[in-house]
Amino acid sequence: MTAVPSTAPAVVAVCLKWTPSPFDGGPLGPDEGDDRFAGVSPADRAALELALQLSDAIGASVTAIAAGPSAADRVLRDAVAAGATRAVRLDMAAGSDSRDVAFELAQVVADACVVLCGDYSLDRGSGAVPAFVAHHRRCAQALGLVSVDVTASASSVAGAPDGELTIHAVRRLDGGRREVLAVPTPCVLSVEGSVASLRRAPLRRALAARSAPVEVIATPPAHHHGAPAIVTPYRPRARTMPAPAGEDVLGRLRALTDAGTSGGRGETVELAPREAAARIVDTLRGWGYLD
Amino acid sequence: MLALIPVRDATLPAGALEAAAECGDRSLLIGERVGEALGHLVGEVHCCEAGRFRPGAWAEVLAHALADEPVVVLPASPDGRDLGPRLAAALDRPFFAGAVQVSTTTVVVPRDGGRSMHTMAAPASFVATLQVGVRGVEPSDAVPTVTPAAFSVTDADVEPGGAGAGCPDARVVAVLAPDAATVDLAEAGRIVGGGAGLHDAAQFDQLAALGARLGASVGATRVITDRGWIGHERQIGTTGVVVDPDLYLAFGISGAVQHTSGLGHPDHVVSVNTDAHCPMMQLADLAVVADANEVLTELLALLETGDG
Amino acid sequence: MDDRSLTTTDCDVVVVGAGPAGTCAAIVLARAGLDVVLLERGPFPGSKNMYGGVVYPRILDELIPSWWEEAPVQRWVTRRSTMVLTPDQALTVDFRSQRWGAPPYNGATAYRPDFDHWLAAHAEAAGAQLVCSTTVTGLLRDAGGRVVGVRTDRPDGDLRTRLVIACDGVNSFLAKEAGLYPPVDAANYTLGVKETLALPKDVIDERFGVRGREGVDIEILGGTGGVNGGGFVYTNLDTVAVGAVLKLPKLAAQRRRPEEIIAGLKSHPAIAPLVEGAEVKEYSAHLIPEAGLSMMPRLAGDGMLVAGDAAAMCLAAGIWLEGVNFAMASGMYAGRAAVEALRAGDLSTAGLAGYERRLSSTFVLRDHRKLRRAPSLVLSDRVQHVYPELITSVVERMFRVDNPAPKPGLRRIVRDETKRLGVRTRDLVRDGIDGLRSFG
Ligand SMILES: Cc1cc2nc3c(=O)[nH]c(=O)nc-3n(C[C@H](O)[C@H](O)[C@H](O)COP(=O)(O)OP(=O)(O)OC[C@H]3O[C@@H](n4cnc5c(N)ncnc54)[C@H](O)[C@@H]3O)c2cc1C
Ligand SMILES: Cc1cc2nc3c(=O)[nH]c(=O)nc-3n(C[C@H](O)[C@H](O)[C@H](O)COP(=O)(O)OP(=O)(O)OC[C@H]3O[C@@H](n4cnc5c(N)ncnc54)[C@H](O)[C@@H]3O)c2cc1C
Ligand SMILES: Nc1ncnc2c1ncn2[C@@H]1O[C@H](COP(=O)(O)O)[C@@H](O)[C@H]1O
Repeated sequence: MTAVPSTAPAVVAVCLKWTPSPFDGGPLGPDEGDDRFAGVSPADRAALELALQLSDAIGASVTAIAAGPSAADRVLRDAVAAGATRAVRLDMAAGSDSRDVAFELAQVVADACVVLCGDYSLDRGSGAVPAFVAHHRRCAQALGLVSVDVTASASSVAGAPDGELTIHAVRRLDGGRREVLAVPTPCVLSVEGSVASLRRAPLRRALAARSAPVEVIATPPAHHHGAPAIVTPYRPRARTMPAPAGEDVLGRLRALTDAGTSGGRGETVELAPREAAARIVDTLRGWGYLD
Repeated sequence: MLALIPVRDATLPAGALEAAAECGDRSLLIGERVGEALGHLVGEVHCCEAGRFRPGAWAEVLAHALADEPVVVLPASPDGRDLGPRLAAALDRPFFAGAVQVSTTTVVVPRDGGRSMHTMAAPASFVATLQVGVRGVEPSDAVPTVTPAAFSVTDADVEPGGAGAGCPDARVVAVLAPDAATVDLAEAGRIVGGGAGLHDAAQFDQLAALGARLGASVGATRVITDRGWIGHERQIGTTGVVVDPDLYLAFGISGAVQHTSGLGHPDHVVSVNTDAHCPMMQLADLAVVADANEVLTELLALLETGDG
Repeated sequence: MDDRSLTTTDCDVVVVGAGPAGTCAAIVLARAGLDVVLLERGPFPGSKNMYGGVVYPRILDELIPSWWEEAPVQRWVTRRSTMVLTPDQALTVDFRSQRWGAPPYNGATAYRPDFDHWLAAHAEAAGAQLVCSTTVTGLLRDAGGRVVGVRTDRPDGDLRTRLVIACDGVNSFLAKEAGLYPPVDAANYTLGVKETLALPKDVIDERFGVRGREGVDIEILGGTGGVNGGGFVYTNLDTVAVGAVLKLPKLAAQRRRPEEIIAGLKSHPAIAPLVEGAEVKEYSAHLIPEAGLSMMPRLAGDGMLVAGDAAAMCLAAGIWLEGVNFAMASGMYAGRAAVEALRAGDLSTAGLAGYERRLSSTFVLRDHRKLRRAPSLVLSDRVQHVYPELITSVVERMFRVDNPAPKPGLRRIVRDETKRLGVRTRDLVRDGIDGLRSFG
């Protein structure tokens, strides 16, 4: 285990967003304000697990922070049960503007060497809070990580000439590419839900955490207010399509409707497995998918 | 309205053309070898050579440069999602993430995990990211008017005293090439999908093997993701991922509308099912009535022998 | 006695399972000032629990006075119908009482995730420590075999205690592990299956002839497609529960899937108009201990009590399908017996005898004694396959107008029909007596 060479003990912070209810309503769905189904997203749980792993590896303590109403205390106590050392709740209404949330979070995480977040929250899903926090702290950010190498991160402390902790992580790019990042600390990281699965809290900790103290910090009245919105069911937007190619009207119609353009469309065959496989391979080759 | 397009290695990100079109074909390219990245962009294109992707430093510099640009729209590609909120914070403006429509009067964003849409009056100035693939673009052979941007981002900017000073960014150690197994389903050109007709997790794993052989990504129906054989991010359909591959191979999938509505417009569909009349078979170009489990085994054997 | 276990216990009592039985036990214990840990495997109490849909909460009067002012109730049952179905006939006995629609109420439809969650909040308020997402995987025992704690699936998951109350539901593996169960036969269990169907409230009100918060409880004999069992239809505010309770060996022998049987029930001409156009919201299945008294385990062991479905306390006898009230009562009595035993410092089987004494002197065991023949009678082939046809055809001939033939007398019709269906008078009389003994 490597210690972070700094005067104060290192802190890893994790931001957990308590979400009223990730489920849709309906007859069997929960009512408004029903906290049974409330909780944190898989991404936030993954962030907590990584915070715990990282703190073990570098000898840091873990502060769990939620900005939300008192119902969010449960989420923080669950984090304490899993191993967080400190629980802080910023007393704010659920659904506060991300900018206010990020501003307040940034004050509390000011001493943290690493701030871990989920990539998106369940209800709004803007993924903006981590970037806002990084902005307030003027530190590096790496958003939408698909893996964090805890061991390499921990050994970076020993490796670097100035004993700086560097986080080694992989981020998703478009086109299926990935980038491997070395993120200098302090930094804000946001992770996808599949990055790690949260450990189970030991029974005794789970029992003790039921009465764990949660520091509650009052926050000033909101600065920002979300614009009023007209809410409608989701409908995909009409897409602009390239004009159909074709010599004449009929040709364009064919191109648009696919009618008669694709040779084998609609062919149904009943075959024994081996013949079926052979037929599929032939067809794929015919379409140019196999060389 | 201005489309802000982060460029890596002379390549436009996903959704670049759509963001530009949404802004009436006014765009600013920023990044690495932007001059070579024009692609099918049209209209007014400004170029800012800025080296590797540095969201923190760029946001600081751009905040000065774009102070008079009331509406800035980025594609919601990974880099756009990284830079967008950071820029909004630096400009101290409202930010709309993953919008499906942006104009100077209204912004439409999906909420509640995509179940509803919120239409809001646009503020005087704001930053937004536009979801990739929501609007489409009309292809055009028109030639853009390319001008260098009135500002630049150089290493000097991140040195002490520079515009982006004090904003450290992550360092890219390596870029890993795409791997069919890890490509976002939404971007995959070929997909093999499995449904309840596959008997067990081992059969489902064969699907992955077939996918690897065909250079295809693996997708599944909700029945399968509910069984936990593969993660939710691989579920195709209304409550999963919306895909648009060229080739779709469906094994033991009935073709419930919740599934097929997420399937896009594949050029070619193969379906293997014991029920000749289920919707997936109706949709298929080649509908094979057979046991999907056995066909999978045979397919793998056949392709393994190099016969493919 | 291993005194280490006495000095190093983590709490006075561990209650396993936050269903109605476990929660009521925890309420009693916590209110007596004891240190109780209530362990539940689901993410919250009730999250995994299914049942038909009607609770008879009279017993709650003792634990939560005026419970009806706060309990999460869907509808108050003011109509109870018993239906006898053949494929194309239905005979319904319908009872309505407006008295059941006012305090103190008789029965209520409720969703278990709501009801169990609400009840558990009372246990927590009383001071019980509820820990969810925790599955008990085994018992800890001392050298003498006395139960001294539980093992859970959490890391560092052993909990030492003075008494374990097993309320882990049907097929209780804890009671089995403690050796309290005789070998159990699959024939003693029935499978309960249920669909929850969404309909607008006003449509339900109209189809079932109720208003406001009034609700209907329909128990059905026949209609289960040749599989021995029974059906039910219950109304919630904006859903209808349709389900069946099916005899396991028959189900297996007939190779029928339970969904098919519900589908059959839903398409019966007497049921279809009630549920037409409804959207299926949920499908669930669960075992029910059906054989009542004849399959009950020993209720106490050294350091352990068993309550609710875990002790096969569910009353499933034809027109009655009551389990929640039996679970709540047995949990409550287990709690009281435990308080007594803990105060006396004797947690041996003998010291816990107060539990069975309490059950025997109240409805819990009295109803079971009285109805001990009912389950096998109701599920017998004659009651299942012959009598419905007999009853409905008798009624059909009573109501049929056969002019110019004159109306036959009732006795004549019964004689004809019993003969036609090959029912022996001897069996009819014996079943009649059994029925009278049970239900009379
Ligand atoms: C609100 C809502 C949202 C939903 N969202 C989604 C979604 O996003 N994505 C999604 O996929 N589903 C979704 N569903 C579920 C959807 O309705 C279907 O239930 C699901 O798609 C069916 O999956 P399936 O085809 O694998 O299974 P089934 O419908 O059970 O079909 C199995 C198929 O396998 C065939 N088969 C059986 N044995 C064999 C064999 N040996 N060989 C070959 N074929 C065989 C059968 O003939 C059948 O056609 C949603 C449902 C709801 C209510
Ligand atoms: C289809 C059907 C219809 C029914 N209809 C009715 C009806 O209309 N009215 C009625 O009164 N009764 C009805 N019943 C019966 C009723 O549901 C049961 O009798 C009642 O739920 C028993 O309560 P309980 O507390 O003993 O057990 P349960 O309600 O089964 O509770 C057991 C609890 O223990 C937990 N648990 C189990 N194992 C473990 C473990 N190892 N570790 C930790 N926790 C564990 C479970 O998650 C659960 O919360 C019906 C049953 C069925 C199946
Ligand atoms: N109210 C909040 N309290 C704590 N963390 C939050 C809050 N809101 C957002 N976050 C963090 O920021 C991430 C992204 O959230 P969002 O920007 O709302 O999509 C979440 O996964 C959390 O880690």
